[in-house]
Amino acid sequence: MNPEFPKPAIVPQPGESTSAEDVCRFWYTTYSGEVYNYLRFHLPSADTAEDIMAETFLKVFRSAATFDPSRASARVWIFSIARNTLHDFARRARVRRHVSLGALRDLACDAPSPEERLIWEEEVAGVLEAVALLEEGDREMISLRYGSNLSVAMIAEVLAIREPTVRTRLWRALKRLRARLPEDT
Amino acid sequence: MKNLPHDLEDLDRFLSSIRFHPRASLEPEIFGRWRRGEAPGNARRSWLRGALGVSGLVVLLTAGIFGVVRPRLWPSTHQVDRCCQDLDGGGVADDGILVLADASDNVERLTLYEDRDLSGTFSAGDSLRFTRHGVLDTVGAQGADMTTTEFCCADYDGDGPTDDALIVMHDRTGISMAAIYEHGHEKGVLLR
Repeated sequence: MNPEFPKPAIVPQPGESTSAEDVCRFWYTTYSGEVYNYLRFHLPSADTAEDIMAETFLKVFRSAATFDPSRASARVWIFSIARNTLHDFARRARVRRHVSLGALRDLACDAPSPEERLIWEEEVAGVLEAVALLEEGDREMISLRYGSNLSVAMIAEVLAIREPTVRTRLWRALKRLRARLPEDT
Repeated sequence: MKNLPHDLEDLDRFLSSIRFHPRASLEPEIFGRWRRGEAPGNARRSWLRGALGVSGLVVLLTAGIFGVVRPRLWPSTHQVDRCCQDLDGGGVADDGILVLADASDNVERLTLYEDRDLSGTFSAGDSLRFTRHGVLDTVGAQGADMTTTEFCCADYDGDGPTDDALIVMHDRTGISMAAIYEHGHEKGVLLR
């Protein structure tokens, strides 16, 4: 299973008929899922992730006029704002490392029974706790690849590094993550 | 992922299957804040909320006992609509607050509503959860299982700065009392 985020049906084109809100809605529809899941892999609380996401998109909307597509894609630009907002938050607040089950109310699940849902939540909570204990660089790789579902090429674009470097760092991060997980996970 | 070492494939599959969905009301909430011209940096801070809630409750009960409710000058009668938060403790951020104040800054009506149509503002289809007319009264809001929650900070009085807090007292049966107050006022904490 490798779910994709929903893509918008209409891509607004520059022109007199496109309002600022049309463009912002397009950005939100296209990138909010990626940004939110990126934040959730970093943060153990849905409430905190929502706060950081709201702050990120308020910054994006207020800076929409300064966006220059010739310098970077919208995704790269929005992720740079999201990453900066997250780092600002991490500097001023201690991020908890423990992922409680109640904090996973926003976890997608197609399990047919409550018991299977609970098992799924326990497994995800265990893995996210291990992710939270990784070094910042490893957690960033895991969050961009598996939270945001970005390809290696996209991660390379967001981080402004080469694709082979992304691949190497990602594999190392995965190995360190696996080492933190119980054998039966 | 291409060329992934074999021993990492299971972990890759598991991580790829994890997905989170932000609540549906977050989008209208963000766009509503943008339309109102709210600056970034005013996100709710959960680490601060607990501490402020306790101090807010102390201030609120003190004011209720001694009747320390002071008026403040306000340029004109106006209405402020703020949506959407989880004000009633139901777990869903679909509640809004509607404040109507007179020219002397007295709250004439304070209403908490459930944004049932997810419009991000009070509309005809929304249900009212609590309405307070006139001055603050804490008498009806006392009880053993009463929970007090503070929401800080936002611009509930419509004067620009996001220096207002909302206090909601509720139990299992519903919301019993709500009030707003202003942080950092020259006269101290100002209850409404």
